[in-house]
Amino acid sequence: MDPWSPVSFLRCRKAGRGLQWARFVLLSFERSLLRGRLQLSRRSAYDVPFDPVRDLSWRDDSAGATAKVTLSMPQIEIDDLSKTFSVAEREGGLRAAVRSVFRRRLRKVRAVDRVNFNVDTGEIVGFLGPNGAGKTTTLKMLAGLLHPTSGTARVMGHVPWRRESDYLRKISMLMGQRSQMQWDLPALDSFLVHGAVYDIGKEDYKRTLDELVELLDLGGVLKKQVRTLSLGERMKCEICVSLLHRPAVLFLDEPTIGVDITMQARIRQFIADYNRKHGATIILTSHYMADVTALCERIIIIDHGHILFDGPLGSLSERLAPFKVIKIDLDRELDGYDLASMGEVLSINHRKVELRVPKNQAAAVTSRLLTDLPVLDLTIEDPPIEDVISTVFKQPRASSDTSDDCISDDPGGTLK
Amino acid sequence: MRRVIRALLAYLRAHIGVMLHYRGEILLWSLWGIINPAVLYAMWSSAAAGSAGGTIAGLDVRGIAAYYFGIMIVGHLTASWDVHQMGYHVRSGNLSPQLLRPLLPMWKAVSENLAYKVTTLVFVVPMWGLFAWLVQPRFDMAAWQLCLGLVALVLAAVLNFILSYTVSLVAFWATKLDAMGEIYFGLGMFLGGRLAPLEALPPPLLMAAKVLPFRWIFSFPTELLMGKTPELAEALAGITIQLVWFGSVVVVFRFFWAAAVKHYTAVSG
Repeated sequence: MDPWSPVSFLRCRKAGRGLQWARFVLLSFERSLLRGRLQLSRRSAYDVPFDPVRDLSWRDDSAGATAKVTLSMPQIEIDDLSKTFSVAEREGGLRAAVRSVFRRRLRKVRAVDRVNFNVDTGEIVGFLGPNGAGKTTTLKMLAGLLHPTSGTARVMGHVPWRRESDYLRKISMLMGQRSQMQWDLPALDSFLVHGAVYDIGKEDYKRTLDELVELLDLGGVLKKQVRTLSLGERMKCEICVSLLHRPAVLFLDEPTIGVDITMQARIRQFIADYNRKHGATIILTSHYMADVTALCERIIIIDHGHILFDGPLGSLSERLAPFKVIKIDLDRELDGYDLASMGEVLSINHRKVELRVPKNQAAAVTSRLLTDLPVLDLTIEDPPIEDVISTVFKQPRASSDTSDDCISDDPGGTLK
Repeated sequence: MRRVIRALLAYLRAHIGVMLHYRGEILLWSLWGIINPAVLYAMWSSAAAGSAGGTIAGLDVRGIAAYYFGIMIVGHLTASWDVHQMGYHVRSGNLSPQLLRPLLPMWKAVSENLAYKVTTLVFVVPMWGLFAWLVQPRFDMAAWQLCLGLVALVLAAVLNFILSYTVSLVAFWATKLDAMGEIYFGLGMFLGGRLAPLEALPPPLLMAAKVLPFRWIFSFPTELLMGKTPELAEALAGITIQLVWFGSVVVVFRFFWAAAVKHYTAVSG
């Protein structure tokens, strides 16, 4: 049996022969380095412990020329990243306008304040926060559009704001409110320009474009002038042009803004497919919770430049919303029944009632309600994610001096 | 470089597409490029006809016709407008998508510039012909003057583009640059010999014109093409000055561009 095959590797592991396992890894590295074809990439190890089978995989193709070792390492590393803007301020009115000519008042605004996080290869991370929280500023720093005031960041080993050509070829940033298309020309012309700027080979260009056109259902709009497209059609074109060069890292800044629900769902599905198919790392900002719940296992919540939460979406609900919402449809009106003793009454609308009860009491309360009341229908739901996230924003914020002390590698997510 | 040329050609095709779409607008801009020197020709030829020796700045009426015919062509082929537009690109954030691409945004501007010149040839060549038929310019150039004149014309176009683009980078700090564009255009008109032949200027201004780059963009190639630069050495010296200006501006551009992008990414992006 080929000693380099995955099967022999698994046998090693099953037998628990640690030394052989270590030897295998070392020899793998040695062999790959000698060939000069070592490829390191990462998989998500965010919320699960390290698993050698999943996180350290070996592939040896038939020609024996390509070796691939997959390790769990962050693809995006951000350390104490800060960005401060100087914003001119003055009172309203002519007098203040004249005064500002001679004495300009500048206020320092800390848009991003010592942010730390890592993102693994292939992860989709939801970056959430209210307007002005620092989401777009962070993404712009990672895309090389902004120089940070302090701190470091590395994306695929590159310092983004050095704006090296090699780096820019490997990333894409889609800004929902800013177009990359040639406004006065058919979408196809923008794609052709993009293909040339990124020096995509003719065959690759055709194959990728055909695939994207099919997946995004763009066939009908390719020849239309971009300015005449609907918002949803244009957004699909923006996504298409952003992905033509097959970026390994995608920064999506509100990719579904302004488009209808059906189109949002299609775009979401497409992003998920792209991630699955190409293993792209994606950081996504959106004000639509549906985007986040559909795409992101991990979310980072930012407000006033501080990270408030970083962890799995499910964990956020569990930590901040340890309750369930029980919705019941009744056969008849309530007649003096003491609902308040069951839990917090969220609403009573004719024969429809919504109750909020602690998670650990949900089963008991449900059983009691079914016994006491003429229930036609009953559902138990988690609270809406919007409510949970609002709760995070309402949490008292740690001072910037202390917030960094809270950062940990807790796989259950960290409230900061 | 191969990548840049490929991108440049793709942008060129796209920009020609845009200009064909807005052909009415392009026609009007082309007309402006004809009307401006035509009006100045009318003014100076009247002045020459009414003057004692029948000449102005050493040019008779047909000489003035040749000069403004040359200025018309040189002005069109060396046109550059980035100094007017950069402020808008910076202010509106339109520059950000360009900065995300692995290509210097200047190449996009180069292709737009070339696209305008290629597209408008359809309009301007007949208009140039009509103007020449009406004013009967007199050219006394030799073959070497024509050849060197064409070289000077290409250098003038390249120099005006890079100079205009470099000046436009002020927009990264000043944001609103419309007035700067007008000043740049005005200096080109006045000290480049477009408003009046340079010999008509008072000596201090003539000296300033020779020191500044505008004379080498407009009047020098025009004079060479119409045969008004009799000495080969003088022509070669002029071309050398153009090259020195071009090299200097490229160096300034490289430093200025790096600083401009750093400033842009420090404050806005």
